[in-house]
Amino acid sequence: MSNTIIELQHVSKQYGDTEVLKDINIEIEQGKFYTLLGPSGSGKTTILRAIAGFLDPTKGDVLFNGQRINDIPANERKVNTVFQDYALFPHLNVFENVAYGLRVQKIAKADIETRVDAALKMVRLNGLADREISELSGGQQQRVAIARAIVLEPEVLLLDEPLSALDAKLRKDMQYELRELQQRLGITFLFVTHDQEEALALSDEIFVMNDGEVQQSGTPVDIYDEPVNHFVADFIGESNIVAGHMVQDYLVEFNGKQFECADAGMRPNESVEVVLRPEDLDITALGGGKVTVDVDTQLFRGDYYEIVAYDDAKNEWLIHSTNPAKDGERVDLTFDPEDIHVMRLNESEEDFDARLESYEGE
Amino acid sequence: MKSLKKWKWTNLYLIFVFIMLYVPIAYLIFYSFSAGDTMSNFHGFTWTHYQELFADTRMIQIVVDTLMLALLSSLIATIVGTLGALAISRTSRPVVKNSILSLNNILMVSPDVIIGASFLIFFTALHIPLGFLSVLLSHIAFSIPIVVLMVLPRLQEMSNTMLDAARDLGSTNLQVLTRVIMPFITPGILSGFFMAFTYSLDDFAVTFFVTGNGFETLSVEIYARARQGISLEINALSGVMFLFSLVLVVGYYFIQRGTKSHKAKLKAKGAVTNEATH
Amino acid sequence: MKKTTNLAFYVPYILWILLFVIAPMLLIVYQSFFNIEGQFTFSNYATYFHSSTYIMMTINSVWYAFLITALTLVISYPAAYLLHYAKHKELWLLLIILPTWINLLLKAYAFIGIFSQDGGINTFLQMMGLGTHQFLFTDFSFIFVASYIEIPFMILPIFNGIEELNEGLVNASRDLGAKWWQTFTRVILPLTMSGVKSGVQAVFIPSLSLFMLTRLIGGNRVITLGTAIEEHFLTTMNWGMGSTIGVILIIAMVVIMFLTGERKKKGGRRA
Repeated sequence: MSNTIIELQHVSKQYGDTEVLKDINIEIEQGKFYTLLGPSGSGKTTILRAIAGFLDPTKGDVLFNGQRINDIPANERKVNTVFQDYALFPHLNVFENVAYGLRVQKIAKADIETRVDAALKMVRLNGLADREISELSGGQQQRVAIARAIVLEPEVLLLDEPLSALDAKLRKDMQYELRELQQRLGITFLFVTHDQEEALALSDEIFVMNDGEVQQSGTPVDIYDEPVNHFVADFIGESNIVAGHMVQDYLVEFNGKQFECADAGMRPNESVEVVLRPEDLDITALGGGKVTVDVDTQLFRGDYYEIVAYDDAKNEWLIHSTNPAKDGERVDLTFDPEDIHVMRLNESEEDFDARLESYEGE
Repeated sequence: MKSLKKWKWTNLYLIFVFIMLYVPIAYLIFYSFSAGDTMSNFHGFTWTHYQELFADTRMIQIVVDTLMLALLSSLIATIVGTLGALAISRTSRPVVKNSILSLNNILMVSPDVIIGASFLIFFTALHIPLGFLSVLLSHIAFSIPIVVLMVLPRLQEMSNTMLDAARDLGSTNLQVLTRVIMPFITPGILSGFFMAFTYSLDDFAVTFFVTGNGFETLSVEIYARARQGISLEINALSGVMFLFSLVLVVGYYFIQRGTKSHKAKLKAKGAVTNEATH
Repeated sequence: MKKTTNLAFYVPYILWILLFVIAPMLLIVYQSFFNIEGQFTFSNYATYFHSSTYIMMTINSVWYAFLITALTLVISYPAAYLLHYAKHKELWLLLIILPTWINLLLKAYAFIGIFSQDGGINTFLQMMGLGTHQFLFTDFSFIFVASYIEIPFMILPIFNGIEELNEGLVNASRDLGAKWWQTFTRVILPLTMSGVKSGVQAVFIPSLSLFMLTRLIGGNRVITLGTAIEEHFLTTMNWGMGSTIGVILIIAMVVIMFLTGERKKKGGRRA
């Protein structure tokens, strides 16, 4: 049996002439942490709003536990949202904000008290129940917003860039807490963010969005190691992307040289893009590596040096190295065959998966 | 040193302006205690004019009528105006919205005589007798736009996500209105009510046009008496009204302060969110 | 939101717009085409434009309104500016608002006393050895009293305009080497212009129609558009002529609104 809880089938949304969602098909399973990741304007919040019931898709269906819910108003859907600006009610105190959803359902007073207390405890705000919203810090407001949503025991919690208003330190802390909270509650989280690090750290599964389309979905490791196209490779982490062509299976040519690699299934001589992550590149002495470059500049990043270098064809190379290099020095770069990731141009995610299976699944 | 000098100069000018503003009022009240019967040559202290005022049943009746009129008209204007503001905030097409707002503001910017004259024609055309009813309808009519203008900013300040949140948490449309929107805009409604109340109390010209002979407000009565010359009973009335205004202003001040601090907090929060999104 | 709930919000408000905003305005225009016998005619407009009395009265009225506006502006701008930098400005502001809560007629009445033959001003002048003067029932007294009444309505919008001004811009201007006067004319004044404009609107338009002041203070020597309308409606009962002057006043009002309105699309850049 499938434990799919939410499903979007061919969902698209148009405002006038602009199509903000283009034929979205997504399946979300119970109890996992999902992330919609993409730059602003990529349509990720639109998906969230379609699930929450704040907008009607132009085409397609939203299913909840197999039932079509397009026509069910937001207040009757069993999903709750944590808003980007928290959207706390300024005229109610912490307790009343959390109790709001229970009060409108006319739940008995005693019940409300125990459930609100439990929710506040869950987000570690017990003791602040009587505070006014304006007296809270950003992080505390954030917790109230979460408590207010989870007190209703939704099966799916939607989080719309909830950490974007917090400073870096608090953000890191809240990432841990969110992940922990999701595991404790055992419900599905659907999290929207434009921060790829956040997405990689938190998610069981990521949907990478761009231009109203899902570019790639999969576990953080899959997406990082095997991006399906230029956009994903560029958006997730840092990468060196160079043009090349496939000589034959497991052999790719770029920078005028042929390299062994781990990819196959392309046509011979097909034009491709090659991705090399900066942390996979090692600097060696001249003559001992695969690509020769001149070191241009370097920045100390704390746990590593970020080095920018140029090869003879003036391609830029980004290298993460634990040791510093000398400016202007001519060095060689080396990498392993499995560090090379080859992407076909304009390959869809389905084709990509199929090709991968054809040679990996043997 | 420099700042000290600057302090003196700026305050000197401000003090000059304030003396200008308050001298006539002080002058009025000062002579209300004069034993003479003109506003010149103080003739010694007396409460006589106040006693006269409080014994003047006609004047007392007019004061009561004026207050009742102000209360009733501002109450109705507040209800209609609040509904109007809600209606405007729900209008999504900018063209319609702007047209309604322009129509709303016509009575705000029209000179009193135009309002008075056009209402007079209107009531006559509809055969509405001039008197309490026509005055009441006029006061309601010219108070509605100010209520709208006081409530609308609060409605616009309200973030859309807050309404989304209310619905997301399970409230019906009615619950969103009563539990979220109304509490949020209450300061605006109160401000609107206060403004409508003072508009009504203050009005002379419109009332003068539409009142006929049957109904008198304080303004109309003062005008009639002032045209006949000086009577220190009016000065005594000024003293009483000044006191009353003082109470009103202080009340309004506290409402405004409540609204403002809310605003400041919201702004502070908005700034945090904005910073993060940019 | 459901359409039915929306309807409940709209009905009373739209009814008000139709009955008390649109209908009266149309009626006053309609009425202006009828003579005192109730016959349809253009003669009211003909009379207005052919009579030097009416034309002079209109010009006078606009001229007085201009003087009142200019006088209040000259007094109010510095006051609003200083108010912005004053300590306890909330209290000062409250003190500015307070007089507006006093009935206008009481304030006018106060000046009947102050300006009278043996009133405050003349007593003061006599003490200084300057003799007594006729103040009441002069153009001067009308302009003075009208300005007195309108000052708070000019200060408040200008003050709000200055409050909205970002202090950082003033500092930036100084940082870039502008002297105080240059900062004022190049940064502060242009950016507070909208406040000045709404102040001008709030003062000029009512100044055209202060008929009670012309009666109480101007002693019927000063006749404004407002006085003429009141006279035609309530004394001579010539509503047609009164409405005609009313239409003229409305047109004057629209012109002022247009002149002082924000022209957002064009106003982007001016030399």
